[in-house]
Order: sequence, then C-alpha cells, then structure tokens
Amino acid sequence: MIVNRLIEKAMRKAQGAQVTLGQSESTNVSFEDDKLKSAGVAQSTGMSVKVIVDSKIGSSHTTDIDDVDGVVARALEAAAFGSPAHFEFPGPQQGPDVEIYDDAVVPVTKEEMVRIGEEMMALVKAYRSDILVSTGAGKSVSQSQFANSAGMEHTSETTSFGVGVSGQWIRGTDILLAGHGFGWKKREIDHAAIARKAIELLKMAEKIAPIKSGDMPVIFTPEGVNVLLLALRLGFNGKNVFFGSSPVAGKLGEKIADETFSITDNPLLDYANGSGKYDGEGVPHQVTPLIEDGVARNFLYDLDTAGRAGAKSTGNGMGCGPTNLVIKEGDTPYEEMVKNTREGLLVHNVLGLGQGNPISGEFSVNVQLGYKIENGEVVGRVKDVMLAGNTYDALKEIAAIGDKAEWAGGSLLTPAIKIARLSVVAK
Amino acid sequence: MRERMEKALSSSDAEYTEIRIENVTSSWANFRGEDLDNIGSSRTLGGIVRALVKGGWGYATFNDISDLETRVREACESARLVGKEESKFAEVEPVVDEITAHLGKDFREISLSEKKSVIEEYNKIILGYHDKIETSNVGYGDSFRKVWYANSDGAYIEDERPDVGVAISATGRQGDNVQRGFESVAGSAGFQVIEGLQEKAEVAAGRAVDLLSAPPVTGGKYTVIINPRLSGVFAHEAFGHLSESDFVYENERMKKLMVLGKRLGSDILNIIDDGSIRGLRGTHMYDDEGVKTRKNYLIKDGILAGRLHSRETAAKMGEQPTGNARAIGYQHRPIVRMTNTYIDKGAATFEDMIKDVKLGVYALDMVGGQTSMEMFTFSAAYGYMIRDGKIAELVRDVVLTGNVFETLMHIDMVSDTIEWPPVGGGCGKGGQSPLPVGLGGPCVRIQNVVVGGRQQ
Repeated sequence: MIVNRLIEKAMRKAQGAQVTLGQSESTNVSFEDDKLKSAGVAQSTGMSVKVIVDSKIGSSHTTDIDDVDGVVARALEAAAFGSPAHFEFPGPQQGPDVEIYDDAVVPVTKEEMVRIGEEMMALVKAYRSDILVSTGAGKSVSQSQFANSAGMEHTSETTSFGVGVSGQWIRGTDILLAGHGFGWKKREIDHAAIARKAIELLKMAEKIAPIKSGDMPVIFTPEGVNVLLLALRLGFNGKNVFFGSSPVAGKLGEKIADETFSITDNPLLDYANGSGKYDGEGVPHQVTPLIEDGVARNFLYDLDTAGRAGAKSTGNGMGCGPTNLVIKEGDTPYEEMVKNTREGLLVHNVLGLGQGNPISGEFSVNVQLGYKIENGEVVGRVKDVMLAGNTYDALKEIAAIGDKAEWAGGSLLTPAIKIARLSVVAK
Repeated sequence: MRERMEKALSSSDAEYTEIRIENVTSSWANFRGEDLDNIGSSRTLGGIVRALVKGGWGYATFNDISDLETRVREACESARLVGKEESKFAEVEPVVDEITAHLGKDFREISLSEKKSVIEEYNKIILGYHDKIETSNVGYGDSFRKVWYANSDGAYIEDERPDVGVAISATGRQGDNVQRGFESVAGSAGFQVIEGLQEKAEVAAGRAVDLLSAPPVTGGKYTVIINPRLSGVFAHEAFGHLSESDFVYENERMKKLMVLGKRLGSDILNIIDDGSIRGLRGTHMYDDEGVKTRKNYLIKDGILAGRLHSRETAAKMGEQPTGNARAIGYQHRPIVRMTNTYIDKGAATFEDMIKDVKLGVYALDMVGGQTSMEMFTFSAAYGYMIRDGKIAELVRDVVLTGNVFETLMHIDMVSDTIEWPPVGGGCGKGGQSPLPVGLGGPCVRIQNVVVGGRQQ
C-alpha cells in the first residue's frame, strides 16, 4: 500500500507517523426550476500525513498522490515547531462491525438518477402545478487506506446515495420554500416517500397563520430538533470541555436535562453517514452515551484532546465532534403532542442557527419553516417570527418526546420533541 | 498549460466548453488557549471541465490533470444527457490575459515558524488581558490560488488570487455565562495585512469581558442603527442574494417580484455590487466565465436598477453579463455570486441619525447572517441601547430579522462615509463556502426592525 511507503519515509526522521489516503468517484444529477439542469462526475484524491517529531505534531495534505516526498517533507517542517503531542499513535485493534458499503449503489446510472428526479418532480407537480420544483440525486463510491507507525492499518470502501426535492411557491411578495431530502450509505431510499413528505410540508404551509409574540409551547419536528442540538454538539465536544468554553464542563454525573431525555453518539448504525469501523485516527468506533435519563455521562474525545484532559479517546477523532446522534424515543405519539397543544409553534427549519453565542446554549433564530398550532391543530405557516431560548433551559422543560424516532438527514435519528415554553417574537 | 488546455478543448463536440485548473498552496496555524492546536500546510491541484449542449450542463471535476481529453469527453456526455432545448449563453469578447498578484510581503516565502509567532503574540495578549478570560482561539490562514482558465470562445486567462487572514477570538466566562469577543482581518494581499494587530487582540478580549456583564437585548421592534461592518452584511444578506439572477431567470413569479423599475426603498437608498474596486476581498479582474468585473447598481434612488448575472442568466433574461459567475474552487461550477456589496453613502452624520431616537439599538459588527429568499436574519457581535438620543448600555445577543421588502422601505437615513473594514469570513451558497466577499458601507438607520431575544 502507498500509505506504508509514506510511513516508512516519514519514520526516517519522525518518532511517529499516520497517513490517510482517500479516493472517490461521485455522480450527481440536478433539476432546477422544473428543468433538468446539469449532470456531472467528480473524481477526487487526497493524502494526509501527520508526524510526531520530538513530541511535536506536524501535518500536511495534498491531492497529488505522486507527491510522496513533498507531503512528508512539509509535515516534518511543520512538526519542527508544531503543537505538543499528548498521545501516542494506537497499535493494531479490531473495530466493531458496521455496514458502510452497499453493492447496489455502484451500478446506479445518471439515467436512473434523472428518472428519480423526474418522478419526484411529477409528484410535487401533481399536488400543485404552480410550484417551482428543484430536485436532485447523487451517489459516490470511496476507498480509503489508513496506516500508522504503531502498526495499525486498515482499508475501507464506502458508498453513499442521496435524493432531495424542494418546492417554491410565490404569491405576491410571499415566498414559500419547503423541501425534504435524505442521504446515507445505502441505495435503498423511497424517493416517492421523500417527495410525499415535501408535499406534506408544503400543504401544511398553504395558509399563513398570524401569531402573537409571547412564551408558548414549541414542538420541534425531527429536522427541527437540530435547533436544540447545536449547543450539545459544541458542549459535549471534548476540546471545548478541556478549554472550559463548554457550559457542561465539570458537570458529568449531574442532571442537566429532563429525565426523559437521553442522547447517544452512535457510529455503529448500519449505513448512517457518520458510521464506520474506525475514526480518522484509527481508533475503533464505540457507542458513547452523552446524556442518560437527563444526566450528563460522557464527553467526546480524540486522541490528543483525551491525552490533555486525562481521558480516553472515544473514537471521535479528529476534532471531538459527534458521528451520528441518536435521541431516545419517548412515549407520546406525535399526533397527540400536537393535539395537546392549545396554542403553540411547530418548528421544522430555521435560519441563522449558530450565529451569536451557540456554545452557551443560547439560540435566537428566524423560523424559516414553522407552523402555528391552534386548539390541537396545525392551522398554517407562520411568517417573520423569531424563536429564542437556551438549549440547556429548554431540555429541563421537555413536555413530551415522540414515540417514534425518524432520520433527519443521514446522521441524526430523533423523535419530535415538545418544549413547554419558549419565547416567540412576531412582527 | 495553455497548449494542453486548448488541445483538450478542441476535442469537445459541445456548443461551449471551458476548463479551469487551479493550483492552491495554503498553510495554517491555530492557537487554542495556551497551546498551539494545529499547524500545517497543503497543496491542491485540480480542475473542472464544464460543457453546454442544448441548454444542458455537464461537468467533470478531477485531481488527476494528466488526461484532460477524457474529462472533456465525460463532461460532454453528461451535457448531452441533460440538454433538451436551445442553449442561451451571452456572447463575451474572449480575453487573453495574465494577471500577477502584488503581494507586498509574499506569505509563501515566510516560514511556518514566523507565521506561528505572529499569532502567538496576539494569543498572549488575550490570555493575559483579564482573569475572566477563559480561553482563546487565534488562527492564521493563507492560500495562494493560481488559476488557469480557457474556454472554447478562445479566452485564456491566468490569474493569481492570494488570500491571507487572521481570526482572533477571546472567550470570557463567569459561572455559566460564556461570552465571546471576535475580530478578524483578511485581505487578498501579502503577510503585512495580518501584522501589527495587537490592538485587535485587546479589543476582542475586552469585548468578551464586557459582554459578561451586558444583559441580553430585550426582544421587540426598534429603530436600529447599524455600523459599516453590519451594513455590509445587511446589503449582502438582506438584499444582495435576491439580486442574484439564478433565483430569478427561470422563475416567472420571481421575475414579477423583482421587475426592474420597481420601487424598493426611499430615494436615498442605493445598493451596489462592484467586483472591480481595488484591493478588496471580493475583487477580481475577471469572473470564472472570463467576464470582466464591473460596478453594478442593484438599487438606484430606491428603484430596482439591475441584478447580478452569469453568462447564462444574462442571455436568458436579455440583459448584459455583469461578471458575477464565481466558483469557490475547482470542485465547483461557477454560480451567480456577489463580489463587494454595499449601500452607497448618504448625507447624514451619525449625530443626525441618533439624536431623535427615543429607544433604539445601535448594532455593531457581525457574527453571521443567513437568508432564505425574502426572509433574512443576521447577528450583531454586540450592540448598545439608544436611549433619548444617546448611546446607553452595552447589550448582547442582538439578532436582527425581517422581510427584505419591508425592511428596505424602512431605511430612512444613511451616513456620509463608507468604510471597508478588512474583515475575514465569506459567503456560502449552493454548497460553496466560504467565498471571499467584500462587506462594507456607511452607517444605516432602519425603522421598525424585529430584534430577536427573549421578551421580558
């Protein structure tokens, strides 16, 4: 393998080395504004080297897989005054089994993707012909090689497939934009169901419902749950914990959320986007509970951060970010959640997430696609509405959790969540 | 390179074909807290072929540039699958040009250790500023992008696009209250851009500490004055994206909504996108379709006066190309993007703007902005309440949101000076982010803006 050659080269001057090589081929087809617009193929290669010299780290990256000498030399140069290493490269270990390759993705042709796009478009058009539709489909097949100087090496092959559809409906100066998409490592996606979901979102939004400012119950759809999760993604990141910028630093074992709330980092779900046997540092993947029954349990670590914090890598390298997040199902059917809401907001998609001070838990977002609930029924779409609150406060005020988890994108599996009270500012 | 590209182009049977090849060298260093977190460099070589057949686009992107003919054939095949109608693509006089960047201090010749020591000093300033400073994040990044562009019209352009920047972030903490002060400086020039920023580090640290004792702004409707950095984001987010013709050109209802000549604001409102202003981050001589950049009025005297085009959207709308087809890199096709977008200066002084505001918000700098058609939201880094015509207490969590058509109408005063703060960051659209853009302008006063936040 090329990677072994690089390790050999690097080890002439380094005390430790890690090399990753990746190659991928992908194909995409897209329809814009009711028309087939473009198709294309993308070929890519990349090679990354990380070395430890005199306990300092240097790294380098190139797309030219023939530039073996250059990429090693630049990593060594960086290491001469690099950041101190707080870890050693891990030796050979066997990662757990997880499915990340689907033979059925490989033979999918551009023509088949065009057909999928056409069918999704036809479904949305059948609902309302004056909605402008954009759709797309894509697939990719990638190979990677990994090796380090401690003898860990593995190769992997992974596939991915995804489809999406969105509709735009303009009346006067009102522009409605709603859509749905899904992608994972498997061919099996019911694109008609994706289109039907988009239609449902559009249908519910036909009417505009006025809403008054004030505190009210808010139901987050599985997609909408992302509003609450951003703070947790940042807050449970071991790096942010180590540097003290996370508000949950030092709170392991403490109750930080309602006891019905449990969330897990799970890279072992078959075909999910964040899944794989190993993380980017050759550490076997594992399932890591972050919050269990409301109690903070673990933070996510990569090798270096774990070394600094006196913890163990949780297989979240590089960067200590989550792989796939799974939120435990509750016991309230979604329909009941809506039915039990006298006046409230149903949030599906927002604008401006991550602006401001997200790590503190604070959010203040524009509701891009959200609905007014009145007397237990969704009565229409809201406009010009801001939703504000704090994730950590909200998680203590969970009113209900849905009894059925759904994929929201390919790396979040969650039921809908109802928060008893959040601040809504309307025009 | 020219010969190889032209030879490959001549093998194409599409109506229009272009090849763009890019060689990018970049380096970075990053401090978090007391330690260097990351240091390294990368070299990227890759390209894209784009072909047009009967109105359909095919493309191929690649890192292996040894066989351009094959890539041209792949792009043509895809284009033939897609194309079903007549192609419309604006004619442009093909240019042959070679642009050399003037860097001043060439960052490619500066060692990683010197790059590291410059930011190390800024980092120390933050960490030593105050005992409420919890941590820091100071990053350096540079990239030198050499672009070779050739198309089947006969254009051949070699361009050099340098970009260097520093992002300085200080985190203050008091109990569970965590606040951040952020400053960034970037430019398409040499290393000198990021030297001597000790004061910026102090400002970032000072703001993180001050915001700890600042209350969140109370949500509601206010008269808002935005400073140049924020008015740049406003021009970009609130209106600029709507003037990108790819949202309009095949959308009959959108065309009606954005018909030229429509009144969108009062007489004092002028919004301009200009990719030809020297020295700004959104500036290029030519866009990624070989079209010369220029000054484009989007709104003139309150009236919708123009929009931003690629060669395709211009042809389809019967308008002139504006030099706004930009791609973030070789893995992406050019799409309609802004360059340097700003509200033109007016006649008011800051004193004029503030003196009759009984209760308002003076919102400064930005930490981000996002838009979905007519809805926009953007966040100020910090703000002050305005009470009885005077700047009052510091407030945090100032997020402005609204509907662009209403908000433009509510701009009632514009200050008489334009500033182009050399801030970093960039714009994201269609999966291409961050694209360097220039954000600047005057101070702008807007009536009846919804400011997010919790109500009391």
